[in-house]
Amino acid sequence: MSKQNKAKILNHYSAWKYVVLVVTITIMFFSALPTFYGEDSAIQVSKDAGLKLAPLALQQQLLSSGMNVKRIDQSDGQTLIVLGDNSQQAQLKSLLAERVQDPSELTLMLAPSAPNWMLSLGFSPIKLGLDLRGGVQFLLDVEIEPVYKLHYNTFVESVRQFVRDESLTGVTVQQQVGDRVQITTSDSGHRQVLRTFISQKYPNWQLSNNGANSLSVVLSAAEKNNIQDLTVKQNLQIMRSRIEQLGITEAVVQRQGEHRIRIELPGVQDPAEAKSVIGATASLAFYQVMQSNSVNSKTLNDEKGQPVSVARRAVLGGEHIVDARAQLGEMGLPEVVIHLDRDGGRKMSDFSRANIGKPMATSYSEYSRDEQGKISQTTEVISVATIRSQLGDRFSITGAGDYASAQQLALLLRAGSMTAPVTIVEERTIGPSLGEENITNGFAALALGMAFTLLFMGLWYRRLGWIANVALLSNMVLLFGLLALIPGAVLTLPGIAGLVLTVGMAVDTNVLIFERIKDKLREGRSFAHAIDRGFDSAFSTIIDANITTMITAVVLYSIGNGPIQGFALTLGLGLLTSMFTGIFASRALVNWVYGRDFRRDVKV
Amino acid sequence: MKLSNLSKLSKLSKARYLSSVLSLIIMISSIGIIFSHGFNWGLDFTGGVVTEVKVDANIQASQISQLLAAHSEQEVSVISAGEPGRWVLRYSQVDAETSSNIASVFAPLTDNVEVLNSSIVGPQIGQELAEQGGLALLVAMLCILVYLSFRFEWRLASGALLALFHDVVFVLAVFSLTQMEFNLTILAAVLAILGYSLNDSIVIADRIREVLIAKPKMAIDEICSSAVKATFSRTMVTSGTTLITVAALWFMGGIPLQGFSIAMFLGILIGTVSSISVGTCLPELLKVKAEHYEVKPISDTP
Repeated sequence: MSKQNKAKILNHYSAWKYVVLVVTITIMFFSALPTFYGEDSAIQVSKDAGLKLAPLALQQQLLSSGMNVKRIDQSDGQTLIVLGDNSQQAQLKSLLAERVQDPSELTLMLAPSAPNWMLSLGFSPIKLGLDLRGGVQFLLDVEIEPVYKLHYNTFVESVRQFVRDESLTGVTVQQQVGDRVQITTSDSGHRQVLRTFISQKYPNWQLSNNGANSLSVVLSAAEKNNIQDLTVKQNLQIMRSRIEQLGITEAVVQRQGEHRIRIELPGVQDPAEAKSVIGATASLAFYQVMQSNSVNSKTLNDEKGQPVSVARRAVLGGEHIVDARAQLGEMGLPEVVIHLDRDGGRKMSDFSRANIGKPMATSYSEYSRDEQGKISQTTEVISVATIRSQLGDRFSITGAGDYASAQQLALLLRAGSMTAPVTIVEERTIGPSLGEENITNGFAALALGMAFTLLFMGLWYRRLGWIANVALLSNMVLLFGLLALIPGAVLTLPGIAGLVLTVGMAVDTNVLIFERIKDKLREGRSFAHAIDRGFDSAFSTIIDANITTMITAVVLYSIGNGPIQGFALTLGLGLLTSMFTGIFASRALVNWVYGRDFRRDVKV
Repeated sequence: MKLSNLSKLSKLSKARYLSSVLSLIIMISSIGIIFSHGFNWGLDFTGGVVTEVKVDANIQASQISQLLAAHSEQEVSVISAGEPGRWVLRYSQVDAETSSNIASVFAPLTDNVEVLNSSIVGPQIGQELAEQGGLALLVAMLCILVYLSFRFEWRLASGALLALFHDVVFVLAVFSLTQMEFNLTILAAVLAILGYSLNDSIVIADRIREVLIAKPKMAIDEICSSAVKATFSRTMVTSGTTLITVAALWFMGGIPLQGFSIAMFLGILIGTVSSISVGTCLPELLKVKAEHYEVKPISDTP
């Protein structure tokens, strides 16, 4: 008994613990609430779209076309049209396209249907995965091999050029199978010259002796990784800006693994349209800047829409760009270093020698297919810079702004020279009706499982059963609240299965405790003492039993893909919340209600 | 476990031994079934195209088959998807033309085709997903092994592990025997079974350890039996509630979750049995003793 005298009063939780509990559950309750109102499909018409109608007239026209319009909000020139029927989004878009000046300013989105006061608290509904919302998912494979090949070709060309320029006789430069360049010459002096040339000009290439007469050169592994990384990033960037063109706000464009890109387009029902946008190509060109209205000039617009007069013919096109990287120049100013292939280098060298001190414009064009399948080209001047000296196959352009803009430009330049073909290796389409069916089925199963568990626990443990039930209900509140709060958490169909499993397993914590309490009561203790010992002795078992499931949840989350991650997420979060409610919340309740019950003949 | 000792044992111990023998038989035959039947790998692992469509209820499978055979060079299987008019079309190879143009393929038969969902998985991805899945299974097993050997002594841990292996093999064998589709979701279920199967075993192992430390003189089979007895109602209640909820998922969750619920249901059911049978008998056979657990001064034992 000495322990108890020293320690706190039996079965007593201090007031602050109750405050923590009540505050946590209240916050989570409000966080979970918007989810139950769901979301409605909507289309946002931005200010620049040039909507030709007033909201009231628009509503009447849409209603007469059979659209189930829930409401039309207009603020700051932006119009939001919210639908009562999620399957009409695509139809609404085509109807709206006829009623605005610029259809590309229409954005598909979801509008939470919870009351405004609730949303103004900063809570939002749980994000739903594609299997519940409907939409299209693509997995793109970025092929890196052609990019490596291009680097090799440029390298071989450059070495051959050097050999010719320096009149080194008896030298052969060959690209071998297995990505290796072999330079053979019997002259050791030539070899030394070549060594110096390569290590100075191509520090990222690895040199080694191959037999007595030849040198072997390969792209270093670090540089290969670097190239792969840059290529995938550049493709990501291109995809992001293209998806923006599609007008889908909640699209996900993510890198997956080393050379894959995952694109999720919620709400899109026709994969063909999205495919043509994703598959479009981009290019880049350099132009001489001319006086406006001079002969042989044409006008291009820059990013801000300002016209720039350039020569009709480009100095050279983007197909000559091998690489582009941002760096800080000699004066500490950010610049973009561009690496051209041999042909491009010669053209640039000729042009720049004749035009020192004059401006040069860089333009970025993109080919894309519109909805009718017609290919159209958009060209934009991304930089105008002054030529300071004669340029070779490697030169830098300044005047791009700060370092971040220089990086962006380098990215765009690399994007323009996009040489990595992209193939769609996985494509999944989930129709909106199936998504809704999945939600209905999943939540019906959750409700049924929940009802059975509550009933069973109530009947089996009578006196303590309601505590387990309150713990279970607050567990669900916490789980939904957390799912809505955690950024990046997505609820998928397997995720709902994880929720249902959590319901069944969450009571385990309480069952373990209650069985211990029963044991202690059988040993002849008073109810209050049995509660105290029961909670303590069950604790280590609860932790042990939950950790193994936690391990599988973590492994599933880190290795699995989209839907499986959703399962792992609800499973893992469910374990955490069930321990919180099963140990902490139910103890708080038990202490409060039965904590001072010292009867010995209590039945549970 | 000599036969001469058998008469001295309690009824519960006898039941445990008997069920262990049964579990061993199940385990061996399960392995045999898996090797002889293999799996009906789903789209996730093989690659290919699966499209689910909804058409008029009076259209027959044979009509659809004929249409597809005319449009596609490969064989397309047409499977009914639960309700009339809903069909799952499965192509073994990626064939972007036909699969993305379902409406035109169906045009001679009906204008009213709704594509409910469609998945196109390249063969390369399928292989990667299979490798990833195998890796996940392996990593999970290893992590659990490390945790168990750290938390329990190896004799007790081996019982839990054998029970675990038993459960996973059993569920896999059922999928192999019935040739139900084995896809990514089923793999997730198998991994979840890893966790849940251990749950029961660990609760019992915890109890065995507790009794071992409290009553070091007690015979090992009695210890195991008493641990099983003490945790029995907990095992029943927890397995009961979990089975009920999984059954709810099975009946209400719709076709996409059916395989998952079946796997979970079987896994939890067999996991409950194995935690009592092989889970306790193997440590006994390996002669787990009180001295395997350092007796620390325990202040909270009565």
